[in-house]
Amino acid sequence: MTEDEKLALLKTILLTDAREHSESISLKINALEEILREKQKLSDKISPIIREELEIFASNMPENLGPSITKTLKRQVTESKDEVVEALFPILGKMVKKYISQEMKILTETVNKTAKDTFSVAGIKRKFTSIFTGVSEKEMIVSQLGDAQIEQVFVIEKGSGILLGKFQIKETVDEDMISGMLTAIKAFVEDAFKETGHDLQSIEYDLYEIHLHSFHKYYIATAVSGTFTETLENDLENFNLEVSQEINKKEILTSRPELEKLLLDRYETIKLSKQ
Amino acid sequence: MVSKKIVIVGHFGVGKTSLIRRFVEDIFSEDYKVTIGVHILKKTVEINDKEINLILWDTEGTDDIEEIRKAYLLGTHGFIFVCDLSRPITYKNIESQIDYLKTNFNNVPILSIGNKSDLLPKGSISGKKEEMSFLDMLVSAKEGNNVQRLFEKMAKMLF
Repeated sequence: MTEDEKLALLKTILLTDAREHSESISLKINALEEILREKQKLSDKISPIIREELEIFASNMPENLGPSITKTLKRQVTESKDEVVEALFPILGKMVKKYISQEMKILTETVNKTAKDTFSVAGIKRKFTSIFTGVSEKEMIVSQLGDAQIEQVFVIEKGSGILLGKFQIKETVDEDMISGMLTAIKAFVEDAFKETGHDLQSIEYDLYEIHLHSFHKYYIATAVSGTFTETLENDLENFNLEVSQEINKKEILTSRPELEKLLLDRYETIKLSKQ
Repeated sequence: MVSKKIVIVGHFGVGKTSLIRRFVEDIFSEDYKVTIGVHILKKTVEINDKEINLILWDTEGTDDIEEIRKAYLLGTHGFIFVCDLSRPITYKNIESQIDYLKTNFNNVPILSIGNKSDLLPKGSISGKKEEMSFLDMLVSAKEGNNVQRLFEKMAKMLF
């Protein structure tokens, strides 16, 4: 073999591999170019990855973004109160309007029903009062609708919180447990402010007030609904004092049936009126 | 119907609330929720054909019984002192704690009980009972063992 032939052979050996390699790279580049150029093909490749990432992001969103969103909202509400009010006003306004109209409807029905009851003693009395005072009947009825009403009365032993007797116009949850919890609350408050040496006198919740009047061995808890004024509070206190004197006089504190009969007789007829 | 106030006292986590819930509602929960202040539940039991209302005051756990707000203990008809059989610290000072109750609350009936008897190895309960003779009863709020009997025993002591 001549020198030229040897050189040609060496070239063939060296360049064949490199050419094959470069051809395969070129093919791969072409394929990639095709994927990038054709939207559908690119989408097929990338979509599963993006979907997976999105799922992870969505599941972690409350933890990751929650605090920032709350912070941003708070700042936004503080900085743009007027805009927030403007946005919320139509929604809240509608809700309030609906509630008030519903309540007015109930009130009107009650007033009409009471006004139609012309021939009852109360109706005739109201008519006469209306003629002599010049106040319309409907105004008088509306005024009376806000009157305070005694809903429940509990006579509870001091310390133990044991219920000695009760009067109620409608059934409630367990009255023994109410008596116990009232006593615990009373004990807690009085203990917390012991330097004053005073009794807890009332507890308010929603439309009700519970008035607590303490006597030697027991206290009377009276739950009242409606508009309760200072004058009425004094009246109730005096009334409870009268009932207490009667309990002591008749010595019926330990006899539940007799005590409850007395409570029924006294509290069923009581009228707490603003007039 | 006669009503009686029963106060349950004892250290933190001995199972006072679980005991009452087992007795009143016949349920048990592994979740531990700390009692704050006091919680009141009621159950009627029948003793000698007479119905008795047991008003159960579940107090918050304290290391020392003197830490309980005294106003909660006034007018009590019976105490149940609960210890945890698996934690000696909860019954270490039982004698002085019982003495305090006796002295300050007119010698009303007191039952001392060891709760969590379900944690004791099988067959060791009678041995444990002898060993802890200062306790009136071993109970398990989790499995309900002796719970009903405990409250009935207390009701009987009140009459």
